Amino acid sequence: MIQSKLIKRPKLVLVVDDQEINRDALEVTLEEDYEIIQASNGLEAMEQIEKNADRLSVVLLDLMMPVMDGFEVLNRVNAEEHLRHIPVIVLTAEKNAELRALEMGAADFITKPFDVPEVIIARVARIIELSEGRQLISAAEHDRMTGLYSRNFFFEYAHRLFHYSPELHMDAIVMNIEQFHTINAVNGRDFGDEVIRTIGGEIRGFLLETEGIASHFEGDRFAMYCAPQTDYQALLDRIQSKVNGLSQNVSVHLRMGVKPWQDGVEPEFMFDCARAACNMVRGDYQNPLMIYDEDMRKRELLNQRLLNDLRSAVENRQLTVFYQPKYDIQCDPPRLGSAEALIRWNHPELGMISPGDFVPLFERNGQISIVDTFVWHETAAQIRRWEEKLGRRIPVSVNLSRADVFDPTLVDRLERIVRDNGLSFSDMKLEVTESAYTDKANDLLEVVHDLRQLGFEIEMDDFGSGYSSLNMLSAMPIDVLKMDMKFVRNIENNEKDLRLVKLILDIARNLKLRVVAEGVETEGQLKLLRDAGCDLVQGYYFSRPLPPEAFEALIEREMTIERG
Amino acid sequence: MTIRELYQEIGGDYDQALRVLRVEKLIDKHIRRLTQSGVVDRLLAAGESMDAVRLFEAAHAAKGVCGNLGLSHLSEMASELAEEYRPGNPRRMTDEQVRRKLDEIAEAYRRAEAGIRRYEAL
Repeated sequence: MIQSKLIKRPKLVLVVDDQEINRDALEVTLEEDYEIIQASNGLEAMEQIEKNADRLSVVLLDLMMPVMDGFEVLNRVNAEEHLRHIPVIVLTAEKNAELRALEMGAADFITKPFDVPEVIIARVARIIELSEGRQLISAAEHDRMTGLYSRNFFFEYAHRLFHYSPELHMDAIVMNIEQFHTINAVNGRDFGDEVIRTIGGEIRGFLLETEGIASHFEGDRFAMYCAPQTDYQALLDRIQSKVNGLSQNVSVHLRMGVKPWQDGVEPEFMFDCARAACNMVRGDYQNPLMIYDEDMRKRELLNQRLLNDLRSAVENRQLTVFYQPKYDIQCDPPRLGSAEALIRWNHPELGMISPGDFVPLFERNGQISIVDTFVWHETAAQIRRWEEKLGRRIPVSVNLSRADVFDPTLVDRLERIVRDNGLSFSDMKLEVTESAYTDKANDLLEVVHDLRQLGFEIEMDDFGSGYSSLNMLSAMPIDVLKMDMKFVRNIENNEKDLRLVKLILDIARNLKLRVVAEGVETEGQLKLLRDAGCDLVQGYYFSRPLPPEAFEALIEREMTIERG
Repeated sequence: MTIRELYQEIGGDYDQALRVLRVEKLIDKHIRRLTQSGVVDRLLAAGESMDAVRLFEAAHAAKGVCGNLGLSHLSEMASELAEEYRPGNPRRMTDEQVRRKLDEIAEAYRRAEAGIRRYEAL
């Protein structure tokens, strides 16, 4: 362990007096413990103070001096933010001057003529100690980059407001930056820091206009505890607009969660709720503001329950895989080509839970891997069972989530599942969602490459649902493109959507990719897609997702039709 | 003549000077400088003009320097004049009394000056 005295910085003392004997007397008294510099009037003193502002531990200042007196020095030191932290001890023989100097910000006084040196030494040491203590507290109290409170002090002060000023009704606000680590990685830390400083500056400006305190926790996380606002969107827009001004080339998106004041609710819980609200809008660039309400509380409780229950759901076979057929529409009549595996959860107390209620939740916290692994095993076994029973092997697509991509055993596990069930790799197709691409693209590309080398076919799911689909298309080797259902929905009555669909089909043709259109519900949609050259469709027009037994019946029907 | 003998001769408090200046070397330096610095001469000169501001500033400076040097008698007399002319203080002495005080200071100072000259000569 390093001795604490080695960590202490050398202490520099400036002695200011027009009488050399006074300066010498103080120097000889203090030189054993401190490095001493001298000035003989106020002007010289200000030069030394400016020059040594970061090193000065204390200034011993005579009040009556030629050129510039000590009062003027005190004035100037207190007027400058970067000098104000330097404690000043005045040297005086006059009671009136003592009082005036203390009122002007002097830390202490030493009477002249100098009498007992030990008193001087003790006073100087005490003032330095107090000042260093204050500076340490100040450094810990504030975040250096933004000037906002640090996390611990913020919560301490929020607590005090809550307990000692209960008449103040304060809302809790949490604000994050979308993909901040990517912004740092792509644009450099300096730019990231500038973003943080800009947000901090705007929050400080906001708090000049309203009651409240704020903190920069760490990374991209900000918190405010402030008087209720009528329009939080306006506050978010105001800060977002400042950030937008930083660069024309970089898009930085903020999101905000708000927990409105609630009688008797402690700040910690308020901020848990605000953070949950903020997390709910992660990645939602269109609606980056979420106000925590009763529905959210219920939603949170449900989420927590689902997270807790997932493992037992797998063990107790509450999860079931449903299958939705995909039809080849370039033949007449359309023919069953393959299927997509879709998870369902039949909870013993909550009943049938929609995948929309738990898949995004598990995707966020990584537990989706448990679901995906279950689906892969079930699907591979099911393909095998159908083949054994019906003599027909139906390829089925399964999901590959972002969390799976970062599992180093992924390729081996998938290979083993296929081999253990006696399938070929093209029997289990892998659907990669855009969410898997948004981060660490290189990892994904590497995994996809390895899987294709084995013989797996890769389908890009939900093409067109996010902004980076075209990037993905150019970077990632895929075999099938699944067109998002929002394109198909309106093609019968919206010429623009139809043109867009045709454009996507053109792109796919040029890249020699097959296209699956999702969400087909009407014969009209089917006809337009077939005429435009779409290969496969999936949707309620042919069939909703079916449990294995019902899908088996569907295969049998199809086989009967095929046999003529 | 030692410096301690000088202090005895001029009625100064050597121990007080040592308490403030810590080392004899500094007492030696500043006792020699007393005459060169003109700090008491300026007070006496201010007395000739009886200029209140100059009297206060000069008395204030002489009080500090003499006090630190252990020349307590000189320091106390300078202090009386500093209080007499401190801005805002009511005058307590007549001009005549001030002149007499200045004469006393001049005499004590001349004695100190003479002693210091002898000390320097040895």
